[in-house]
Amino acid sequence: MTVHNLYIFDRNGTCLHYSEWNRKKQAGISKEEEFKLMYGMLFSIRSFVSKMSPLDMKDGFVAYQTSRYKLHYYETPTGMKIIMNTDLGVPSCRDVLHQIYSTLYVEYIVRNPLCVLGEPLQSELFTSRLDSFVRALPFFSVRAA
Amino acid sequence: MAIFSVYVVNKAGGLIYQYDNYVPRAEAEKTFSFPLDLVLKVHDEKVVVSFGQRDGIRVGHAVLSINGVDVNGRQTAEGKDIVEYLKEPSNYPVSIRFGRARLSSNEKLMLASMFHSLFAIGSQLSPEVGSSGIEMLETDAFKLHCFQTLTGIKFIVLADPRQSGIDGLLRKIYEIYSDFALKNPFYSLEMPIRCELFDQNLKSSLEIAEKAGTFGPGS
Amino acid sequence: MARQSTRSTDSKKMNSELFTLTYGALVTQLCKDYENDEEVNKQLDKMGYNIGVRLIEDFLARSSVGRCQDFRETADVIAKVAFKMYLGITPSVTNWSPAGDEFSLILESNPLVDFVELPDNHSNLVYSNLLCGVLRGALEMVQMAVEVRFAQDTLRGDNVTEIRMKFIKRIEENLPAGDE
Repeated sequence: MTVHNLYIFDRNGTCLHYSEWNRKKQAGISKEEEFKLMYGMLFSIRSFVSKMSPLDMKDGFVAYQTSRYKLHYYETPTGMKIIMNTDLGVPSCRDVLHQIYSTLYVEYIVRNPLCVLGEPLQSELFTSRLDSFVRALPFFSVRAA
Repeated sequence: MAIFSVYVVNKAGGLIYQYDNYVPRAEAEKTFSFPLDLVLKVHDEKVVVSFGQRDGIRVGHAVLSINGVDVNGRQTAEGKDIVEYLKEPSNYPVSIRFGRARLSSNEKLMLASMFHSLFAIGSQLSPEVGSSGIEMLETDAFKLHCFQTLTGIKFIVLADPRQSGIDGLLRKIYEIYSDFALKNPFYSLEMPIRCELFDQNLKSSLEIAEKAGTFGPGS
Repeated sequence: MARQSTRSTDSKKMNSELFTLTYGALVTQLCKDYENDEEVNKQLDKMGYNIGVRLIEDFLARSSVGRCQDFRETADVIAKVAFKMYLGITPSVTNWSPAGDEFSLILESNPLVDFVELPDNHSNLVYSNLLCGVLRGALEMVQMAVEVRFAQDTLRGDNVTEIRMKFIKRIEENLPAGDE
């Protein structure tokens, strides 16, 4: 099992943070374009899902999987979105993503008055904390170290 | 357990077959006095609740009928604008039925081609080599399962998140498609499927799948 | 930066009187810096707004509250969860308008005004106006435009402190597509 990469977007679609761990394939476009494509896809999935659903939803879209990876999605009521790609063996990650929001983002970014909200995150502390948090996840293991 | 609906999408992203198997009823009717304590907005040519939910009326529900008469999009049966009508104190008390809006066939066409693109983007954004597109999309209310054949036709099933046995069902639908659509000499490829036998067989396979599906681990 | 890492999320480590005094110093300094009370009220509201847009994230992270789909729900969460969490008081929710878009928060006590006596020459000062800004900023981040004002204030001789909140609209352009 493994974690491939992680994206954090704000409510306006700005990619605040991106990190990757075991990523074997790049999308073949620049990072900026990739972020736009990812955000656009999520935007469309949300609209797709809310139209398509035969029932009233609470959380809405939570995850999708392809033959090779699983995308986990978490969104706060303020519109911040956290996306984590893992392999197929990883179970639901909602709690993990919520923890990244509450114990890392709110703790190191929102509460730090010097961090400007709505701009890509510059905080080294946040980045290193996030890195150790993800590496410590039970399903994080580097297959080919 | 329930299977909600089935979609078949051709190579180009066109919807060639759609069937709603089970549509849950989520409706509520209530009599209101002035002023209306719900916030309404016009969305996709429907009047929907944007804020305020109680007595079974939920955010996202559309106005379906007023005083027992079905509405027509954003207008009442007499052709008056619903939002304006509900601003007029003399029209109260008024009884309004709310519920999830049904998809029109145009919306279904649009959604099918939308999924077609999402499927492709899902594959492009893969962090791993050789990934397919989206095979399963999960929400708290339903799961969407998609099987794409080597020839590029997509079979999509919407089901209850706990429904199992969908992978088998998708392959069964593929079989039914090749038996009763493809082998029918009067069926032209990539075009909407209008075959009696296809319908019948699809319905019975859905019934079997619903009965066999248990509360086991998701398929 | 390393010193930050030792901080805890314990909310009860600061003396609340120091907080009250800090707020008092802030308001009096504003009174010196600006000519009239209206301008001070405006500044307090603006500062509160800037606090609110950040505080909401902290609030959502610490409580398990989801998106409100009804203004009554919003009122309840503000009174029972948010005020309790940040000010240690639980105001009562009353005076609903018939359309359910306006209500009052009645504060039995207000920690901000613990040692305050309003001088006569500041009769128009809304001393705790910061709170209005906080509420407005926080709700705006969850796509709700509201109007918040002090309707009564014990500082000005009223029996209770009353914050009046009025729902204006959902901020649809900020609402992510497909949001219910």
